Amino acid sequence: MGCVRAEEIVEEFPVVNIDSPALDAVRLLAEHRLNGLVVVTNTSDTPYAILPASQVVRFIVPGYVQEDPGLAGVFTESMADQAAAKLGGKTIRDVLPKQRQYVPVVDADDTIIEVAELMARVRSPLVAVVKKRRLHGVITASRLLAAALKD
Amino acid sequence: MYYAITVFLLAYAFIISERFNQTKVALVGAGLMVCLPVMDSPDVFYSEDNGIDWDVIFLMLGMMMIVSILRQTGVFEYVAIWAVKRANGSPMRIMMLLMVVMAFASAILPNVVSVLLIAPVTLLVCDALDINPVPLLMAEVFASNVGGAATLVGDPPNIIIGARKSLSFNAFLVNMAPIVVIVMLVLLAVTPLLFRGLSAVSAERVAAVMSLQESDAIRDRRLLVRCVVVMVVVLAGFIVSPAIHIAPSLVALLGAGILILTSRLEQSEYLSNVEWDTLLFMVGLFIMVGGLFKTGVIKMLGRLAAEFTGGNVLLTTMLILVISTLVSGFIDNVPYVATMTPIVGHLASTITGPHHHHVLWWSLALGGDLGGNLTAVGSSANIVMLGIAMRSGHPISFGEFTRKGIVITTISTALCAVYLWLRYFVLA
Repeated sequence: MGCVRAEEIVEEFPVVNIDSPALDAVRLLAEHRLNGLVVVTNTSDTPYAILPASQVVRFIVPGYVQEDPGLAGVFTESMADQAAAKLGGKTIRDVLPKQRQYVPVVDADDTIIEVAELMARVRSPLVAVVKKRRLHGVITASRLLAAALKD
Repeated sequence: MYYAITVFLLAYAFIISERFNQTKVALVGAGLMVCLPVMDSPDVFYSEDNGIDWDVIFLMLGMMMIVSILRQTGVFEYVAIWAVKRANGSPMRIMMLLMVVMAFASAILPNVVSVLLIAPVTLLVCDALDINPVPLLMAEVFASNVGGAATLVGDPPNIIIGARKSLSFNAFLVNMAPIVVIVMLVLLAVTPLLFRGLSAVSAERVAAVMSLQESDAIRDRRLLVRCVVVMVVVLAGFIVSPAIHIAPSLVALLGAGILILTSRLEQSEYLSNVEWDTLLFMVGLFIMVGGLFKTGVIKMLGRLAAEFTGGNVLLTTMLILVISTLVSGFIDNVPYVATMTPIVGHLASTITGPHHHHVLWWSLALGGDLGGNLTAVGSSANIVMLGIAMRSGHPISFGEFTRKGIVITTISTALCAVYLWLRYFVLA
């Protein structure tokens, strides 16, 4: 088990630019039933954000409901139906939290215990793998567990 | 004395610069006061004049715990939506009704909490009406700063003044609430002039707002009933506290304790609104100001101020009002009032005759509270509101806020000056 390295279980994952339309990112996730997205910028080779699906779902939650979750129950059906449409014209940068979140990143030669520890600690079902400071791919929780059981 | 002055001025400069965490600065300053040594343990923990004012700390802690539990009910969102529906979709009427709700909420809750509760509802309503929320958000925070001045527990400066001078909840209600009502009425009257050009709304949008169900905002009806009962008991406790000889801080702690026991909420929930940072900041401030008091600096400043005004009470009252308004417009009113309280105490001790009793304290409270409307950084509530506005994609600039803030603060200060003069000098 100790011999398996992060780069051996890495998966290719959709990478989206931070300035691309938020609606496209939501569509990509929905149509391909993905676990999440990797967000990058034009200025860096390392990921800007790792967004599990649950965080992408957050895109359609209006900011004021995020401020006061109790208001979710007050939303009428017609308002709820328009929630995704409100993303029109917005970029991923617009809907990401203004304060940059911690990005779970492991090195390509890290062991799966190191990867598992990071996933558990930051409660993220996916982490980015970098090799020579460049994004190499992503490891999902299910892939990691499969590798662990195989050993 | 020079050590105390140097530490205090340096800490104040660092706090005002906002380059460092203000709590850390206050605690480092307090630590230096102890190490130099200006203050010792009995001074810090047990001295009524120089030490930490535990009444203030525990009143704030008790209210923060009550608010943490009250927030879980959704009652304020309910009231806000109910009020909005009474406006029949008119943006101007909605703005004015939400201002009234905000002022009432701020009188019994910390202003920051009122903003955190009402601002999201405002954004929801503006989203449904498809109107710009900026005028409503600004008008609400102005109302919050005004409403908070009405009671002992509405604004931290009032808590500090009340505890230091042993002014009761009733004393604040009788002396502060009347002028707060007057200022609020005038504020409501000038609101249509200040915020002109609110767009008309289509019938379809109005229907969307009218279809909001306020009852859906209530998350836990049983908890709501318990909270209402306890809040009524706590408010009654504040009113009768001088008669039953139980300090407001203990009333708040008992209320919080009953709610914790009966609500069965998790620790993380009933402590969710406890701002430990703020409480520690105040502990640090009390120790630093205590250092100035113990070394005679406060007495000296008080004597200088008394010489400057020549013992003229009316002049002293008006100077405290204007200076407090201006200073509170630019720096946090908590450190300002914490520093001014012993100075005003010294000035008040030089006043003879019963008629002007406490007038300097009301002047300090009004200036400290209402000065928060002067600029965008005048109060914590303003900063929180600006943050919410920015996150919602409707940023409010410093200039935009301050232009309106200057008008409102000028009007409110003039009203307060007339009120203080009439009530405590002409009609006394």
